[in-house]
Amino acid sequence: MHFEVQYNPAHSLATAHLSPGESVRAEASAMVSMSPSLTVETNTGPQGRGGFFTKAKRGLLGGESFFQNVFRASGKAGHVCLAPRLCGSMVVHELSGQRDLLIQGSSYVAAPDSVDINTQFQGFKGFFSGESLFFLKASGTGPVLMNAFGAIEEMELNGEMVVDTGHLVAFESGINYEVTKAAAGWISSFLSGEGLVLRMSGRGKVFIQSRNPSEFGRTVGSLLPARRG
Amino acid sequence: MQYKIEHGPSFAWLKVDLSPGDELQAEAGAMVRQEPQVEMSTHLNAGRHAGIFQKLWAILVAFVRKFIGGETMFVNRFTASQGGQVVVAPSLSGHIVHKMLDASSRLFVQTGSYLASTGAVDTKVRFGGLRTLLGGEGLVLLECSGAGDIWVNSYGGVIPIEVNGSFTVDTGHIVAFDGSLDFRVKSIGGVKSFLFSGEGLVCEFSGQGTIYVQSRNLSALVGWLSPLLPA
Repeated sequence: MHFEVQYNPAHSLATAHLSPGESVRAEASAMVSMSPSLTVETNTGPQGRGGFFTKAKRGLLGGESFFQNVFRASGKAGHVCLAPRLCGSMVVHELSGQRDLLIQGSSYVAAPDSVDINTQFQGFKGFFSGESLFFLKASGTGPVLMNAFGAIEEMELNGEMVVDTGHLVAFESGINYEVTKAAAGWISSFLSGEGLVLRMSGRGKVFIQSRNPSEFGRTVGSLLPARRG
Repeated sequence: MQYKIEHGPSFAWLKVDLSPGDELQAEAGAMVRQEPQVEMSTHLNAGRHAGIFQKLWAILVAFVRKFIGGETMFVNRFTASQGGQVVVAPSLSGHIVHKMLDASSRLFVQTGSYLASTGAVDTKVRFGGLRTLLGGEGLVLLECSGAGDIWVNSYGGVIPIEVNGSFTVDTGHIVAFDGSLDFRVKSIGGVKSFLFSGEGLVCEFSGQGTIYVQSRNLSALVGWLSPLLPA
């Protein structure tokens, strides 16, 4: 199975090419088109990995859809095209089995069965910023497909970096991180509009998106008519 | 100070390497990432040497903006005593334009288009007139003056237009314009076209200078989305 990403950076489309016997799990609603030979089943994650609670946790807290669709090429090769909801880039990160990848809940798109997706509960919600901090942990071997809102920057962290939580897509395990206020005090953190930030340190890959979905939501949302009821 | 505009024209961000003594002022909430030694402080956007009256004015403007939608009244200032990098980005998709101001020039920036400026540039809130508030497309302007760099962001692409004479731009498509230009906000045609043409308000410029026009209009996006929202 391999992913091919086209039309970056603004309106990316990913194609998962499947050989006979292979399958790919994708976030519900990500499917654009598929070969007729593929079979689709909807489930709550890979079988035998985690009970109902783990799966429910992933759905409720991970920001990722509770249900995932499994596209399987049983007899014959085929492909499925996948797209995220917002404009932006997609990127593939290859897991080698050495280091896991922590992915911001809404940035995960798809992975084959050889990659296990687990919820790492970060019990801290950005109550000022409205940005929730929930990460999915991808482990195993194989490619993981992620989406970004805007362009994506893949940087090699070596030292320390402060990242706005709304701009973080993913980072490799082994990087230390701490959720802190953007400014010294709570009041100025609130007024600064930055809310919470992640203070990261160590060595490894960090993926950053050039736009912040909640910020976009607030900019447009504040102009929309109020919801009745 | 060194800067780079990357990922344009769709999703541009501004990457600034601060030297010791440099100061970057950016719209509240624009920070993407920064090196840990960069320090951030939050200020009321009332101008650098604002008196109590100007501060109250800034609060009043912020209050009005709350109802018509728009930016916050705060800005963040970044400094790095040992030097350091900070990346800032706007909230909408689009590009970023850099402009160098000298001590005698002024630039008017639509508040939603202000991204960042350096130390010496002063930003003050100005209304484009009462009519702009009634039109829903509030043309609230930041008057930027003083020598230094300024970065403005557009929703969509950005086109600089050299005006010599007169020129008309839809208020929702204005990013920024030179202070040397005179401007007047008006409805296009009469009351009927104000209500039905979908053009809303336009800004009529005269004189000589540059206008930065954006290829998309946030009010148009809002107008398109609104009827689709669940009741």
